[in-house]
Amino acid sequence: MTTTAAQGTTTGSTFRDRYRPEDEGLRFQELTYTGNFVGMEPVTDGIKGDKMMRARAKSKVLEKVTADDVRKDQFTIDELNDLNNYLAWNIWDVLVMRATEGVSGMIPRQEYEILAFMHEFYRWPEILRMTTREVGGAQGIMDIGATARREIGTKVNAVHDWAIGAVGFGMGRCGLLALEAIGPDDYISESNDILKFMQRVLWGKRQDGYLLNSQDRYRCKIHDDDFLATLTAQIEPLEAGGPEHAAFTQFNAAAELLSFLDHYDCRLGLGDTGPYELPDGNLLILRDLFVNEEVFHWSDVCDDAGLPHAYTLAIVLDPEKMSLAEIRVNDISTTFTRPKNYIDAIVGGAVFSREKWNTPMGQVANIPIKDLPGHLERVRTATLKLYSKTSRMCRRDLIWNGQYVYYVDMILPHLRLAGTYDKACRDYNLWEIDQRVANYYYDITKRGFAQETVPSKIFSGAGYLPFSDGADLGNSKGRWL
Amino acid sequence: MAEVLAEGFNVFDTTKSPAGTVKYLESPSDVISLIRSGKLGEHILLVRGGTTTFLAPALSMGAIGVITMSGAPESHLGILSREFQTPCVMTAHLSSSESRYVVGDTDDAHFVEIAKALDGRRVRLDCTDHETGRVLADD
Repeated sequence: MTTTAAQGTTTGSTFRDRYRPEDEGLRFQELTYTGNFVGMEPVTDGIKGDKMMRARAKSKVLEKVTADDVRKDQFTIDELNDLNNYLAWNIWDVLVMRATEGVSGMIPRQEYEILAFMHEFYRWPEILRMTTREVGGAQGIMDIGATARREIGTKVNAVHDWAIGAVGFGMGRCGLLALEAIGPDDYISESNDILKFMQRVLWGKRQDGYLLNSQDRYRCKIHDDDFLATLTAQIEPLEAGGPEHAAFTQFNAAAELLSFLDHYDCRLGLGDTGPYELPDGNLLILRDLFVNEEVFHWSDVCDDAGLPHAYTLAIVLDPEKMSLAEIRVNDISTTFTRPKNYIDAIVGGAVFSREKWNTPMGQVANIPIKDLPGHLERVRTATLKLYSKTSRMCRRDLIWNGQYVYYVDMILPHLRLAGTYDKACRDYNLWEIDQRVANYYYDITKRGFAQETVPSKIFSGAGYLPFSDGADLGNSKGRWL
Repeated sequence: MAEVLAEGFNVFDTTKSPAGTVKYLESPSDVISLIRSGKLGEHILLVRGGTTTFLAPALSMGAIGVITMSGAPESHLGILSREFQTPCVMTAHLSSSESRYVVGDTDDAHFVEIAKALDGRRVRLDCTDHETGRVLADD
């Protein structure tokens, strides 16, 4: 039992205890993490895990940092290693339970993922450097991050921003180390380019000095109060068991499913922010569902169905109704709660539609809940057509399409806002496949590389080798031996 | 209590207890055929993987219950099952067998055995237990 700050009443929810400085959160899983900390106490998931990882850092890069820190041109070796270790734990924290999923049955996700990881590590640095130059330097990238504070339906969000460093640097480097294509002290300069870009976008978005949701007890509270008020004014009350509640929740699920499918079974199609505590003590989650991405050729069926780029759902939860013990909006933009099922606790909702990625915020339209059945039908139509289309593709097409979803989409929103996407396509051959990665295609199924070796190194943390103490920050790839 | 044919992770607590004939879906064409048959609501769907996309149109069109042979409540499919409020038992194993799913180390025979035992059986899902979901005989 606890007392709510907002109402001063005694209730059954305990989630606010998670925000007390001394609290270590709940354990969402029994597994523990070792990574580069062999011989030390195993690291847990959640708030306690974040505390343990930050306590083991050699630098201050995981504490609240200033704008001047973020503007610096490069990290030190200690800072790079602290980020490497923290991202490795964070990846484990959000993804390890997914390791039980098994094969998709349709999309070879593990295969496309590893190719994309390596492609990103090789190709992104020069494109991110060019983009930083084009926007006038560090502040320009921080400003791109800051745009997310007063927008919904934007892909400058937790999962995309996190992916720049966690996937492009962390998993990409991990995969290439596992393949023995690089050594631990190769591409230090390029690693810096990727991680600096990530740090600047995330810092600009959060504005509280932290980079990741896990550093703030799994909160992604990026929106200003006056901006939120314009959205919450349009929320309609919902009652579990009622037809409007059913219409809202079914639409949420169906649109979420299509966003997964359009993004090849990954969470780039989904973006949650929050939880925002409302004046009445209820919690607001804002959920962007990107159901039509125009750069994907297979998304033509979503065009045909008349779907917008994104729907955004404002979801209001009554924490007392579900005796909420913990809520996490993790760094891949996904909300998890304990108890797990929050659907019956939804007591209000609103839906907004963003026609194109660059539709001005002032033209993002509210869809009354009574009008959702028509949108649901369009979502279902697109889902069946996209499924049918995808099921006819050969394995090679599925793998390279999925590879593009990661390699292009993870930096697409930032390049779009920087105005460098066309330049990246034209001058940097963004959509071409690097010959090294093309050749790896034939290696990824040998000896279980994509399905066993790399996932094992990524999920255990064993593959994120540190940079050597005293290594040269200017190191690229000095030798092929 | 009816015979427990299989059990696994319960994705979310619910008093919904859907009943139907188990339909093992092996390929995307099986999923499309089932939807086009108009009989989606008569079946509990059995699949190998715990990912969402394989079952995408079936979930979207109103699947009543799902059994998977891998995956956990944190997976894509677990999330979507909760969002749709579709009862779902994940990483199910047969009560009559010692075989268990192990990540990255599960022989094909494990999946074949489960599919053979459940496909075509009339079952009911019991998802009232916080942790364990059960597949009960309903014939």
